[in-house]
Amino acid sequence: MDTMTEFREVADQPYGYLQKLKDQTGKKMVGYVCSYTPEEILLAAGAHPVRLFGTKQQIHLADSHLQSYSCSIVRGVLEEGLSGRIGFLDGMVFPHTCDSIQRLSDIWRLNIPFGFHSDLVLPVKLNTPSARDYMTDVLRKFQNDVGRALGVDITDDALQKAIGTMNAIRQSIRDIYEIRSQYPRLMSGADLYTLVRASMMMDRERLAGMLSETVVKMKAKAAGEKPDPSLKRIVLAGGMCNHPDIYPMIEEAGGAVVWDDFCTGARYFAELVAGGDDPAAGIAERLIRRVVCPAKHAGLDRRAKHILRLVKEQNARGVIFLLFKFCDPHAFDYPDIRKSMDEAGIPVLLLEMEDPLPGEGQLKTRFEAFLEMV
Amino acid sequence: MITAGIDIGSITAKAALVENGKILGTKVTFTGYNAEAAGRKVYEDVLADSGLEASAVGKIVSTGYGRNSVKFADRTFTEIMAHAAGANFLKPEVRTIIDIGGQDSKAIALDERGKVKNFVMNDKCAAGTGRFLEVMARALEVDLDEFGAMSLQSGAPSKISSLCTVFAESEVISLIARGEQRFDIIAGIHESIAARISSMIARVGLTEPVMITGGVARNAGVVAALEGKLGVKIAVLPSAQVNGAIGAAILASSL
Repeated sequence: MDTMTEFREVADQPYGYLQKLKDQTGKKMVGYVCSYTPEEILLAAGAHPVRLFGTKQQIHLADSHLQSYSCSIVRGVLEEGLSGRIGFLDGMVFPHTCDSIQRLSDIWRLNIPFGFHSDLVLPVKLNTPSARDYMTDVLRKFQNDVGRALGVDITDDALQKAIGTMNAIRQSIRDIYEIRSQYPRLMSGADLYTLVRASMMMDRERLAGMLSETVVKMKAKAAGEKPDPSLKRIVLAGGMCNHPDIYPMIEEAGGAVVWDDFCTGARYFAELVAGGDDPAAGIAERLIRRVVCPAKHAGLDRRAKHILRLVKEQNARGVIFLLFKFCDPHAFDYPDIRKSMDEAGIPVLLLEMEDPLPGEGQLKTRFEAFLEMV
Repeated sequence: MITAGIDIGSITAKAALVENGKILGTKVTFTGYNAEAAGRKVYEDVLADSGLEASAVGKIVSTGYGRNSVKFADRTFTEIMAHAAGANFLKPEVRTIIDIGGQDSKAIALDERGKVKNFVMNDKCAAGTGRFLEVMARALEVDLDEFGAMSLQSGAPSKISSLCTVFAESEVISLIARGEQRFDIIAGIHESIAARISSMIARVGLTEPVMITGGVARNAGVVAALEGKLGVKIAVLPSAQVNGAIGAAILASSL
């Protein structure tokens, strides 16, 4: 089976894949909802980290716990938990980011009784002198909590090995993004989306091998390619995108998504953990240095500058913001970022989304009009 | 060269013929169930009205939500580009377009050259669109064509607080039950549309002169409510409803 087919199978039927992985390896499955989760620590504990993305089903069970003005990701994750569809999980990690995720954690603890449950109380301000030490302490506590809950002693050696695996994965995804940014036709946007999404659910050892194989193949294919200046290069920004259909809509309108600033995209693989004697401090350092999520603070204009830099580096013609309805952190960040984009003369399209997506016609019209405009 | 523009909206299909900066003819029909047939019909009708054969037409551009079902078009553009091209052709000084159609409403900002600088479209719901007015007209048993004139008689528009078509309809029904005057209710409906649209305008930024296009431009009550809310004069051309089709024909002339 070729690697892309395998990525597709995982992305299409993740629960079947995860149940099988659990049966075969006996690994503890730990779900998480945010890219500030230190996967390295879970891996070093012999557990398997699983990113949750919301639900593809109609949300009704979650509605008796959460108001309809919570975002559809939080409501969707709760729906999956309440429905029993992710009953194979042995634990959940809730990093302290937005208010809704914190409350999701409480509702989860009271209503979905299973295994390990951890609130990862990360610092909110990441640019203060004490943030780094605080982050390191939080991660050490998490390491202890996970170890105790799963009955393992997480050694520094195991952590160093997990850091190596995660660094290799992040580097490979970055390489794939970079090759694809030069030659977007080498891999469709929908395939890239599938690959990244599957990466957050697959067995990480196997994944590391598959990704490096993909990089080699893409490099070989890239050798015979020429850049296509007619493509309108677009950067996507926002929290996450649950809709692979968006990529072909942009491609059919003459565009190509060349980079993103998603929690389930570039923020997942941004920055590597530097080597050093203290693995927890290394992981903390990466989370501090990495481009911030809007639920964290690292200076007033760090995200705006980051997106401006992306546009410049990727030679993009415009930015499409895909924001989830009722996502306060992103919504509050948007006006300032928008102002920076306007001042720099970068065209911006804002789409407010919710699962399921609004009618395809209107969405297509917006993408097409934006691409006609840029 | 004679060029044609065909704009298939959710409720009506429009066609326009243009030659050397002159409009030869325009036509409006209902879209109905079959967008493809509506495109063909409105095109045939506009040709017949203008006494022209299809062979006389050089290029055809289709636009509107049904643009891809016009198989005989040379190219498609979104209605955002088409309305910008139409406005720029008919009134080059326009900098803001408010387009209110059957199921969409849009605010479009144009730069000094008449090119689209920014745009906002309404969400998936029908609030602030022609469909919303149709639903209200049915609830009030008033012909939609009389809506504009009736609302202008109102001195005290009713308050419609809900922006959702379904909830607003039940609000209207309770206003009827309370015995409020029809023209006050209609004026209230127009105020609520104006509130909705002006928040969209605020997002793209209001620059004068402002022009309104789309079928709802025919409703003088909505235009008056918008002018009140925005504090500006809004240009309403007789061709407002067919502006997208004219724009498409203009775009076709530079293919």
